[in-house]
Amino acid sequence: MAVKVNLHLTLRQFTNGQEMIEVDGKTVGECLKNVVKKYPAMESSIFAKNGKLSNIVEIYLNLQSAYPNELARPVKDGDEIHVTMMLAGG
Amino acid sequence: MLTGEELDRYGRQIMIPQIGEKGQEKLKSAKVFVAGAGGLGSPVSIYLTAAGVGHLRLVDHDKVELTNLNRQVAHWTGDVGRRKVESAQEKLNKLNPNVTVETLSVTISEENASGLTEGFDAIVDAMDNLPTRYLLNKTAIEHRIPFVHGAVNGFAGRAMTVIPGKTACLRCLYRGPVPESKFAVIGVTPAVIACIQATEVIKVLVGIGDLLANRLLAYDGLNLKFTEFKVQRNPQCEHCAHL
Repeated sequence: MAVKVNLHLTLRQFTNGQEMIEVDGKTVGECLKNVVKKYPAMESSIFAKNGKLSNIVEIYLNLQSAYPNELARPVKDGDEIHVTMMLAGG
Repeated sequence: MLTGEELDRYGRQIMIPQIGEKGQEKLKSAKVFVAGAGGLGSPVSIYLTAAGVGHLRLVDHDKVELTNLNRQVAHWTGDVGRRKVESAQEKLNKLNPNVTVETLSVTISEENASGLTEGFDAIVDAMDNLPTRYLLNKTAIEHRIPFVHGAVNGFAGRAMTVIPGKTACLRCLYRGPVPESKFAVIGVTPAVIACIQATEVIKVLVGIGDLLANRLLAYDGLNLKFTEFKVQRNPQCEHCAHL
């Protein structure tokens, strides 16, 4: 068992199209860091330079908004994280 | 009161029990503000016009460019160089002359947003940039007007409806400014999202159904998946916390 991290369509360019990555971690932040370890090119799309979440990223934990303090949210095996993006285009 | 022509024109939707003649009359007497006449604004305007919404105010400051034509279906090849609102108005008038299509070729700004939207029954966010989306969100909350958000990128899209003071607004999830960038898009994506927005507007105006409120709908066209996320009001939201 692990935590499932579902990546927004715009992030799948870094995972060769893979939508869901299973990682270990006790918080949302740890899980996302472990995703980035697997796919380092994704880092700047999720995290700002100061290590906080990028302003464009939204995090949902078990389909519920994890805002605010998303990275500190505790997770357990079987939880699902969705990393989505605030879109601007129209 | 609906005319004989209107009873015929809208007959198939009047047959829907949740709409009926009363619902159609509500649509006829409604005023909808559509911000943007581009990829989202084109289909939103077309479907609201076809549905018989009485009054549309369509606002966009741009002119039609060749690069718009893969998605902005209210504009055709011969319209390149024309003001978008004029191009759209011509098609909408031909589609349904019963609908008043008012157009303004202006930039929506802090100075004019409140005046532009006052007195409308719904505001449709069909913009192409985040600052104006947030400005419209704030203005909708100020006027207590339902706000129907939609946005796209590539094959991805999202939509959410805001009922000011009752449900989460666009700003409730705000973390900070985002740099503007040119976005990729194929026309079918804004078509899907715009149809969801138009559906929400019709439901708001008629007063039926379960709105996409406190729910963010994310669309993945590449895998044809819809995912629904629950969102909640932010008690510290700088736009809606005071309501």
